[in-house]
Amino acid sequence: MLWQPAKSGLSKTADWRGFVLMFLGVLIGGVGAIYLFVLLVDPYDVVPFSLPIDRRIVSISDRFMYPQIVRSKRFDSLVIGTSTSRLLDPQLLDRLFHSRFANLAMSSATAWEQQAMLDLFLRTVGPPKVLIVGLDSVWCDQQADRHRITFRGFPDWLYDDNPWNDYLYLFNYGTVEIAARLVGYHLGLYRERVRYDGYEVFVPPESQYDPVRAHDNIWQGVAPPPTELPPPASPAERRRLSFPALSWLDAGLARLPSTSLKILAFMPVHVAAQPAPGTPAADVEAECKARIVSIGRRHGAKVIDWRIASPLTRNDANYWDGLHYRVPIATRIAEELAAAALAGRESEDGSYVLLLR
Amino acid sequence: MLFQSQFYVLVFLPAVASLYYAVAGSTRARQWVLIGASLVFYGWWDVRFVVLPVSQIVATWLLALAHERSGRRAPLIAGVVLNLLSLGTFKYLNFILASVQTVSGITLPRADIILPIGISFFTFQLISYLVDRMRGRAPIYPFRPFALFVLLYPHLIAGPIVRHNELVPQFSLDPRREGVWQRIGIGLVIFTVGFAKKVLLADQLGTIVDPLFADARLHALNLGEAWSAVLAFSFQLFLDFSAYTEMAIGSALIFGLLLPENFRRPYLATDIRDFWRRWHISLSNFLRDYLYIPLGGSRRGPWRYVLATVVTMGLCGLWHGAGWTFVIWGLWHGLGLATCHAWQRLGRPLPKLAGWVITMLFVLAGWVVFRAASFTVAGSILMSLVGEGGLGGALQEIKLLVAAALASALIPSAHEIVNGLKDPHPALAAAGAALAVYCLLEVGQGAPVNFIYFQF
Repeated sequence: MLWQPAKSGLSKTADWRGFVLMFLGVLIGGVGAIYLFVLLVDPYDVVPFSLPIDRRIVSISDRFMYPQIVRSKRFDSLVIGTSTSRLLDPQLLDRLFHSRFANLAMSSATAWEQQAMLDLFLRTVGPPKVLIVGLDSVWCDQQADRHRITFRGFPDWLYDDNPWNDYLYLFNYGTVEIAARLVGYHLGLYRERVRYDGYEVFVPPESQYDPVRAHDNIWQGVAPPPTELPPPASPAERRRLSFPALSWLDAGLARLPSTSLKILAFMPVHVAAQPAPGTPAADVEAECKARIVSIGRRHGAKVIDWRIASPLTRNDANYWDGLHYRVPIATRIAEELAAAALAGRESEDGSYVLLLR
Repeated sequence: MLFQSQFYVLVFLPAVASLYYAVAGSTRARQWVLIGASLVFYGWWDVRFVVLPVSQIVATWLLALAHERSGRRAPLIAGVVLNLLSLGTFKYLNFILASVQTVSGITLPRADIILPIGISFFTFQLISYLVDRMRGRAPIYPFRPFALFVLLYPHLIAGPIVRHNELVPQFSLDPRREGVWQRIGIGLVIFTVGFAKKVLLADQLGTIVDPLFADARLHALNLGEAWSAVLAFSFQLFLDFSAYTEMAIGSALIFGLLLPENFRRPYLATDIRDFWRRWHISLSNFLRDYLYIPLGGSRRGPWRYVLATVVTMGLCGLWHGAGWTFVIWGLWHGLGLATCHAWQRLGRPLPKLAGWVITMLFVLAGWVVFRAASFTVAGSILMSLVGEGGLGGALQEIKLLVAAALASALIPSAHEIVNGLKDPHPALAAAGAALAVYCLLEVGQGAPVNFIYFQF
């Protein structure tokens, strides 16, 4: 069973030696060249000796691209949240709050991912001038501690303080592709995908808005309201509910000084995407909101609620689908947000409720 | 540590190989290098795991030594029992408790035990040594090569199952002997073949398999879904396991060691006996020599043959996993082998194509039971394969399935490459290395995916 090569002449030995050297040469050369390319272009802006080029956000992989926005230290205020907060334009918020805003809300971000972003900001930049937390159902997820990341994965190595472990994660297609796009941007072949303050209009252009299609998107799969409702949850039952993410929110706000303006805003999803009144889900959400108000009170935060049935959320024409409002609505929300948080102004048409001034 | 991780390919293997060849002049030093590397490789998952194989190795070696000195069989029997007890405790205790509970209706506690990786493989190797001692076919080896025979990391986790007399004599051969470049070159090629099969095919097939088998727990699959699930899993299992074997054989060859063949394009088999001569060959050989033949084999009449075959294959199923679905899968193959044997004795061979179709349908049906979470799910998928869940749907990811089929049928086995690669053309080296770079970029996308056979 012992394998011994057949007796071979010197030329054959030399051939095999050349074969191995060629193999190792291409392998080491290929890996080295690609790795060097990634290090020099440095699309996540984590390598100290990378080329001094203008790094734009050329990928919509927000979890990978946004840490560099924080580390740039160009911004003193931030928005965290999910896609329901992504349309808040930082340039508008800058004017309204007299700050330098980055919108770091990420598509389908879990509460844990959002608190990781806030944590990175606090460690890197320090206390923000203004913090806007765009609240969604993820903060009221009763299993938020188990739902920490999504199928997209979360590059926690970009969010820690260890600059050395980053090098272990840079040799892969995703990074090579983004590095190539960045080179393409400088060659005029590729455009910036997300503005360097995190703002991106991820919904289609307004000119393509189709009310019939939007109506279908909003109501597709929405169950009719139940005809028989269970008795409402008792106070004891409500007390037993657990919202793991709220302890993260509490801890995050506790790290902010009183000089930081803290705004907790339930974002306006369409009524079709809100729990039907009287259902157990509505009970859970009501309890969650009450606890968030309580947390906000402890930390001097403003709490504003657009996640209610209102002229805004009942009107299909304001939405692309159940979760995502249109760009003009985003402008309105930003303006109302500033008015409510800075001047304590109540909603004129009942679109929001100022739960905590 | 996983063979297809960037760390293994770019750091661990080059570092160990460099150290190994740096001390290649000393048999003792290079064996210690491999033992040390193997302990690091195994302990990478959980350093506590190292205690188990090391304890079993030390105990087995001491009992073999006691046998050598006393001439009594008792230490060897004690060694076999000890190894079986270890395997039984870590792998089968909860299965036995659950089965007794089902039969008796008495609620029994469960042991809080983590299954140490590769336990079935290294335990079998130790048992084979002890049984060979009983048969007078195994010498006493010094401790170091004996330990290395079991621990050698390329085969430690998932085989090929190696016998002492296949490996220990190789340890004394200087790896720099004539043909060193040829062995390293072919080792690199075989490793890359396995790397590509794992990363580019097997793991991609898993993205079809997992959701469909999960869906089958909730509702009946339609015809397209059922065939997609079963074909994808059949290719995934072969490509995943043979990829592991190739990376193991390739790694060992870089150290100048040849591990035995494990697969020989099994999906080209035209009868079920042929299939088992091509599928997991090192396990088949082990079961043949240590179970099937002692049970009577084919020389004590037809009924004894059927009994030996069915019992051997039932235990083969149980070896794969502590669950009744695995046992039934093994018995299914046992009955298939016995039927095939009986048919062949009639002397009326089927046309090759008909034999291949029947064999593949038989094997596919077996894989359904092997993969399904329960008999209910397996039954549901088998019924869906004949349209009980609706005739709709279409094969998913056809291009991937075709690529997997071609790879399964056309890529030579590791030993076919060893024996057949005569021309060390530089273009082949460059293409192989480029493929390895491609795979390294692919595997860097996320955490490497475990090999299916690690659970066995």
